Amino acid sequence: MRKLFVVLAALGLGFLGSAAEYILIGGVAPLSAPGAAESGHEMKLAMEMAVAEINAAGGVLGKEIKLVVEDTRGLPEEGSAAMNRLADMGVVGVVGEFHSAVAKAEIEVAKARKLPFIISEAWADVLTAKQYKYVFRIAPANSLFYTKVADWIRAVGFKNVVAIVENTDWGLGVNGVLERELGTKPNIYGEKVKYTYIVAERTVTDFTPQLLRFKAMRPRPDLIMNIFTGTGEYLIVKQAAEIGLAPTRETAMFAVGTSALYPEFWETVGDYGLFVITKTGYHPILGVTPAIKEFVSKFREKYGRTPTFAAMEAYDSIYTLVKAIEMAKSTDPDDIVAALEKVRHDGVLGTIYFSTEKEPAWMYHQWPGAKAVVIQYTEVGQKYTEALLLWPAILKP
Amino acid sequence: MLEFYLAQVVNGLIVGLIYALMAVGLSLIFSVLKIVNFAHGDCYMIGGFFSYYLATLLGFHPIAAVFVGMLGVMAVGILIHQLLLKPLYTPKVERKGEYAILMTFGIGIFLQNLAMALFGPWTKRPPDFIPGVTKLGFLFIDNNRLVVAGVGIVIMLVLLYVIGRTFIGKALRAVSQDRDAAAIVGVNPVRMNLLAFGIGVGLAGAAGALIGPVFLISPVMGILPGVKSFVIIVLGGMGSIRGAIIASILLGLVESLGSVFFLDPTRGLAYKNAFGVLLLALVLLFKPTGLFGEKFVRLE
Repeated sequence: MRKLFVVLAALGLGFLGSAAEYILIGGVAPLSAPGAAESGHEMKLAMEMAVAEINAAGGVLGKEIKLVVEDTRGLPEEGSAAMNRLADMGVVGVVGEFHSAVAKAEIEVAKARKLPFIISEAWADVLTAKQYKYVFRIAPANSLFYTKVADWIRAVGFKNVVAIVENTDWGLGVNGVLERELGTKPNIYGEKVKYTYIVAERTVTDFTPQLLRFKAMRPRPDLIMNIFTGTGEYLIVKQAAEIGLAPTRETAMFAVGTSALYPEFWETVGDYGLFVITKTGYHPILGVTPAIKEFVSKFREKYGRTPTFAAMEAYDSIYTLVKAIEMAKSTDPDDIVAALEKVRHDGVLGTIYFSTEKEPAWMYHQWPGAKAVVIQYTEVGQKYTEALLLWPAILKP
Repeated sequence: MLEFYLAQVVNGLIVGLIYALMAVGLSLIFSVLKIVNFAHGDCYMIGGFFSYYLATLLGFHPIAAVFVGMLGVMAVGILIHQLLLKPLYTPKVERKGEYAILMTFGIGIFLQNLAMALFGPWTKRPPDFIPGVTKLGFLFIDNNRLVVAGVGIVIMLVLLYVIGRTFIGKALRAVSQDRDAAAIVGVNPVRMNLLAFGIGVGLAGAAGALIGPVFLISPVMGILPGVKSFVIIVLGGMGSIRGAIIASILLGLVESLGSVFFLDPTRGLAYKNAFGVLLLALVLLFKPTGLFGEKFVRLE
């Protein structure tokens, strides 16, 4: 028994000894159902690519970086457990997440365990509005972006807008911004914009009953906001087209979720995707910097698909965290947070830095430089990078 | 407005037929084997992927891919039965009910993760059976849904004929009523179990293959239909195929109409999946064995 104890103790010390040889960074993303696994996988690939490059260039503080990506499955309780596991493993910081509801649980662990956390692709205002010391965000806040979408809706002159909203923090957050913005200001013709919405669970596969309801509305809606991600987003596009509702001359379709940018969009909706409107945080019209060109080309070469801005955000998150560690010359969480508040990293999406302003509340530790554009597919099978630009918006609060 | 309600009824009927195809397989398995197959939704998913790859990689016609996919899932079902469920009929398994629950749950989780590893998390769309939309007056119906409804009806009629009119059907019914009595008159219950499990999961596979062009396919596509199938077979009466068909159509109609008649129109679709459970609760309050259920069934 004593021998066994000695062996186990030696193994434990060996493990601790080897842990000191590298710096452990955590990643969180939905890699399986019911989360948006397609987005989570893309983010994971981008994180791994960033870590491989940093290690090839010598690592940080003279040590190699090891990345551990935990699957949050799109579930808040899994996200919370994943953050705790990462903290127990001794990670010096965490990046990632796609679902706002999950990130909402994760920021509580980040706060409690003093874990610097850069949220890569979760948009709900509340995530930074809580103004937690250890929480930073590269993705735009809903209010940062969707006020601009509301501006676009008014500028085009839409006056009868309906929305199908995913029953998640992200979906309800987007809906809240649109309802507030469209309800307070008239459209370009001075008309009041009528905004109607329905909420649906992420698991719904048949949206036809509600789409038929929209079709029976008089006057007919002139814009459908498809505030869904993943399969639901594709199904709404497909089923709205099947019943002759949208996209048509009378009714436009705005697919809000990131899934509309993936190649699977065309595989799943086919011809019905023609004239669908969507949004992206990256488009060549925003300027193809050498950093973007290099990232897109490397990602395509390595993984055989064009990355979306979710991948770019995850990639930039890793580099930004590593730069902060380098600036801090320490892996102490408070030192890293102090460095993150001062960091300026020339990333793929632009120069990443975090605001320390506390008004509006969501601006705290938010990257204010996120750009986004509204685009429309004008050919079947078109890449989002070649889609027609409808609304350029260099976002400023 | 009448047109709107008619459109909802037609949609509910078609969705109900889709549910039926899935639920009758589960009901058949329960009636003969007296176990609930918790991997049923995942067999549905495997059917979707089989037919997708048969059509896209091997060039099968989409309808042919459905039937070959169904046979593929039957083969998987037979393998599962022989390797993992056969111990149910031996004395070495004491707690048969618990064994079946844990085993089929485990198979379901395994199949789902295997699909995630093999096919990736991406949503896929098999080729259309017939592209486009049929306009019937004011109704716009996706041609794929019409094909699903048509093929579904044919499959169910064939199943009802086999169960009701053929020797195999009589043997299956005999085993479902009394295994020992069936054995005394020369019916091999284990062979009938194998057949029922194969046909049952094959039907789930056919449902998954048919639904692909309508609701798309992904490794998690079977989770909700699996749950709905349980609701349906309890609603229709455990083990009753006729009950499963009627309950499926009822569920399709209730979901379609319920989500548009719901008092708060902004939340109608959010509660869509709850309508079936509400219907089930109401039926069970007045008829605890379901619409056409037997009083007592248990794996002995």
